[in-house]
Amino acid sequence: MKKEVPLAITFISGLLLVLALFIPHKPFGNLEEIFNDWFIIVSGFTLLLGIDSLLGYNFHKIKRKDKDAPFALILILSFFITLAWGIIEILRTPEHNPFSPSSTFSLYFYNYIFIPLQSTMFAILSFFIASAAYRAFRAKEINSALLLVSAVLVMLGRVPLGQDAAPYVISVIFLIFAVYFYAESTGITETRTKLIYILVALIFVALIYPLGWVYFKKHIPEFADWLMNIPQMAGKRGIMIGIALGGIAMSIRIILGIERTYMK
Amino acid sequence: MKLILLLFLGQVAPVEVRAFDTPYDAGGSITIIWEMDTAWVAKVSRIGIFRASAPGLQDSLIETLYKPDSVYVDNSAKDNVPYYYRIVVYSDDTLIAEGKTASAAVSTQQWFNGKRLSVLIILIIYTVFLLYFIMRARTNKNLYIRKIAGLEAIDEAVGRSTEMGRPIVYIMGLGYISDIPTVASLAILKRVAYKAAEYNAEVVVPCYDPIVMVAAQETVKEGFVEAGRPDLYKESDIYYLTSDQFGYAAGVDGIMMRQKPGAVFLQGYFYAESLILAETGHSIGAIQISGTTAVTQLPFFIASTDYTLIGEEMYAASAYLSRDALSLGTIKGEDYIKMILVVVILIGALMESAGIRILTDFFSIF
Amino acid sequence: MVNFLKKLAGIDRRIIYLAVFLATAVPILTKAILKIEPLPEVRKAYEYIESLPEGSIVMVSIDYDAASMPELQPMLETFLHHSFRKNLKVIMLGHWALGLPLGQQALEEIAKKYNKKYGEDYVFLGYRPGVAAVIINLGKEFRNVFSGDYAYTPLDSLPLMRKVRNYKEIKLLYGLEAGAVGDSWIQYGYARYNLPIILGTTAVMTPDYYPYMQANQVISVIGGLRGAADYETLVGISGQASIGMLPQSVIHLVIIAFIIIGNVGFLVLRRAKK
Repeated sequence: MKKEVPLAITFISGLLLVLALFIPHKPFGNLEEIFNDWFIIVSGFTLLLGIDSLLGYNFHKIKRKDKDAPFALILILSFFITLAWGIIEILRTPEHNPFSPSSTFSLYFYNYIFIPLQSTMFAILSFFIASAAYRAFRAKEINSALLLVSAVLVMLGRVPLGQDAAPYVISVIFLIFAVYFYAESTGITETRTKLIYILVALIFVALIYPLGWVYFKKHIPEFADWLMNIPQMAGKRGIMIGIALGGIAMSIRIILGIERTYMK
Repeated sequence: MKLILLLFLGQVAPVEVRAFDTPYDAGGSITIIWEMDTAWVAKVSRIGIFRASAPGLQDSLIETLYKPDSVYVDNSAKDNVPYYYRIVVYSDDTLIAEGKTASAAVSTQQWFNGKRLSVLIILIIYTVFLLYFIMRARTNKNLYIRKIAGLEAIDEAVGRSTEMGRPIVYIMGLGYISDIPTVASLAILKRVAYKAAEYNAEVVVPCYDPIVMVAAQETVKEGFVEAGRPDLYKESDIYYLTSDQFGYAAGVDGIMMRQKPGAVFLQGYFYAESLILAETGHSIGAIQISGTTAVTQLPFFIASTDYTLIGEEMYAASAYLSRDALSLGTIKGEDYIKMILVVVILIGALMESAGIRILTDFFSIF
Repeated sequence: MVNFLKKLAGIDRRIIYLAVFLATAVPILTKAILKIEPLPEVRKAYEYIESLPEGSIVMVSIDYDAASMPELQPMLETFLHHSFRKNLKVIMLGHWALGLPLGQQALEEIAKKYNKKYGEDYVFLGYRPGVAAVIINLGKEFRNVFSGDYAYTPLDSLPLMRKVRNYKEIKLLYGLEAGAVGDSWIQYGYARYNLPIILGTTAVMTPDYYPYMQANQVISVIGGLRGAADYETLVGISGQASIGMLPQSVIHLVIIAFIIIGNVGFLVLRRAKK
């Protein structure tokens, strides 16, 4: 019974919602809305569950004299101070709103704690993007070399200085590739392969002027847009279609009770 | 020309008005359309829509439009009540045109939304395929599924983390239990918990949503029970953190910096915090396995984690890990429907390029 | 030499962070302003606002919060300077509850600089839940949604609001978008009521809003920090966005430099291994 009842609920509600998509007539038409309302009500109450878990976990840490106990203490204090402060300002301010301009909560907590914290966490992203880009864009093979070059072109195409810098950046990258292929060719004994490597190196050198100094110097913003709108978008849509199909298969597995890791 | 003449004479032009039950809806709605002479468009300053429930009765204004529309959907109509409509068109404050509906319009509820026929057909075909492959899977247990490196690496990651004597951190992202990626993530969590129990390792799951937290607790417990080590399960390791995006990212980063996990799993739905989490995991030297259906976050995961489950690979995880014939059957079915869709998309693209819109119209559901 | 080159493949991430920090901080501190040619779409937005007659009522929607503040706050501030300088009347509301105080603070501060009076020259309405419902109902009658301003002062006690019944009196909606609220402004505000709209969007959201501009459903889109800098240039103030242009360019070049350096190290290392 412990398994059958939840499975039956899943099956029936899943099937009803699928039907509701095709039947506008009441009571099916607004079924999704009703279920959503129920979900919101239930999830509102589960916040208490979350608070219980959070406070319980941190109180436990303090009791145990865990090495993270100071952090737990800060969390518990912040929690209760924020809560109390908010309630006091609701009672005190003429607008009964902790975010009104006359509220000290808005003045101090919002301006000097909340905004800086939120902005800081988001800003850390720029540091992480730099370190991730440094590690990830390596010319390991042809594919990754193409990815690298496209990434550089998009980055150049999107900033004011990019157009001026493009010829130099392209020259450097192509020269590195040329030197690499030439260096590789020195170790090869077979004449034909050796010649191909030298030829590739020469092609890179030959492309520097027409691509870097003529084409990209003028058209790099348009080229960056093209890369984002055509090849990038095509790949993205392919993945999205796969995700949608996988999602349907997964949903059918859940409705039929094949997928039930979420319960005992 | 006629209009200008009428205006000149100070006469009011006639308007042809039609009202009918809005098709494919849940009732309570009537659509009104009227003919709009192109010469009007520049002149119209407002259009008043009046409604009465009997032809002789005094009608009342229900809506004023401030642009030269020629259609209005009256969503305040009651079902099974006849309505008569009148349209008045003004240029500044001069009445320039007026018209009435000839017959009553009655709103009703419909039993089938015809605009979604294409969805229904695809759903039926899809379900038939899935059921067929589920049936076949029952008799033929050897369905082939390609190797997914990210899933193969789970055991290794858990093993290595245990060897180093470090815990495992499992991050379920910002999804709710109603999001499919979250359910898919639970399936992977179960495998991780099972392996962790075998190796006697700790699994820490900081959660963004309380319901997801409860589901994660059940899943980990189940994994430990299946591995025969229910005694090792610690409910307090799966706890709620916060429902603020960057607050959650900061909290999880802190946990990673302090507890130095040997393996970090990022499985679920992620937003802008994805790279903040993945780079922190990388900086502490953890082996990281990520997976998400958030297409914009995939590049970040691919750049900074060791293995990434791309979109649908994540959905295939539970079938792949359990090797359950029924689940594998659904994946096989999915592959076939995908091939059909590729063909339909190609034909659609060719037809659309040639200016034939039948297929496009069939698939537009709004 | 070879050993040095090999090391380039594994630069400590802290060095990268330091470089990123310096590449951002130094250009910001120099306060140098790159001369930029404003993008045509930003110029179009600017010219539309310029063309509004004195006393016209414009509305600002705050649909972002602190995380997207660096991009959108300069767009808001520039718009407020522009509007008050031209003696336009400003009504502010928003759909992101946690971002609204950002809007209100900027409004109060800039209004003070131009000696504008609350209730006559500008009004802050605040937040009401339900994005689409709010936008639709404002189009019918402002009082259906807001019985009073943020401090519960009845709308009819505010001289500016006495003139406003619905979108007919609003000559422009200026929406600052970090998410999808802009779609609702267009779907309901423009499509139903012909509300003229200019959107200021974060760089990430900009590509999503460009199609509306091509379809003439919005007057224009001011996109990202670059758009904000263009707008500042046109209005003639050197604000945070203009100052941000140099660091943004430099940081892109620094990341590109690190990618190139990393690859030199990687290729040398690979050859050495062979």
